Amino acid sequence: MVKGEVPNIVALEVLKKNGVNVEKLKELITKGVGAEFTTYYYYTILRMHCTGLEGEGIKEIVEDARIEDRNHFEAMVPRLYELGGSLPRDIRKFADQAGCPDAYLPDNWEDINSILKVLLEAEQCAIRSWGEVCDMTTGKDPRTYDIAQRIMQEEVEHEAWFIELLSKRPSGHFRRKFAGQSPHTGSQGGLIHL
Amino acid sequence: MADSTKITRYPVCKSAELTDNTMQKVTINTIDVLIGRKNGKLFACNNSCPHKAASLSKGHFNGDNIVCYMHGYEYNLFTGKLEKMSSWKKEDTWVEQDPEWRKSGDLVLYSISEEDDIVYVTL
Repeated sequence: MVKGEVPNIVALEVLKKNGVNVEKLKELITKGVGAEFTTYYYYTILRMHCTGLEGEGIKEIVEDARIEDRNHFEAMVPRLYELGGSLPRDIRKFADQAGCPDAYLPDNWEDINSILKVLLEAEQCAIRSWGEVCDMTTGKDPRTYDIAQRIMQEEVEHEAWFIELLSKRPSGHFRRKFAGQSPHTGSQGGLIHL
Repeated sequence: MADSTKITRYPVCKSAELTDNTMQKVTINTIDVLIGRKNGKLFACNNSCPHKAASLSKGHFNGDNIVCYMHGYEYNLFTGKLEKMSSWKKEDTWVEQDPEWRKSGDLVLYSISEEDDIVYVTL
């Protein structure tokens, strides 16, 4: 075989026969992992500003979400390459095409609620983003669907954490066993390098 | 798989199934197409939002515009033009997004017609 020549890929052939628009799927995944990666970056800044009595109280929760979002990037990127896709070579392009807005530090970051609102918006966008991938792959692409639904489960948990912190509604959440545990995309799936 | 060089007219539904002020997603050769009828006029466009590729079928109408559920961008369903680029600056203290992230193209429109109570889309 000539170097660089890719033989027929049965795993892709099956998807096409199942009616998956592989090009669109790769686009959605690239946007999804872009959002996870930028969120990991911006959550780092947000976490650094969780100080004072209130801020220190939520710092560990922000850290869980931060590391788990990075884990989501790690979990899905290999699948992007299996599908024949790739990450943009320029990280600026990667950030610009991300499916979710940048979770910028708000100007009044001393008010911890303003940070929580940014975190909540970011999680809600991620739920919509991975929901698109789940909708597109359910019953057609079990491998991508499995990874996307695991990510989705953790994003839904993240949204619940920040809603509970903002609204003080009753909460089913206690704590992760360790920071960024990723109970769905982590050890159970064996998809990431923890 | 559709031949990209060939233009074909596809029957997509019965006219009665596309009632006024409704829309639905149909799939033609793996391409998701949003079809609908707004104030009696038919429209068809690619279901993928030109901004970040979300499904426009999950959005809602605002006059002749489709509002994307993901980031709230609005596109005219008959001209395809981006008509409203939503701000992400939800509160005074929020920081607006980078212009490169915010920019968007226009909708990809398709020809749609009715004949003998059948709706056709041309790709």
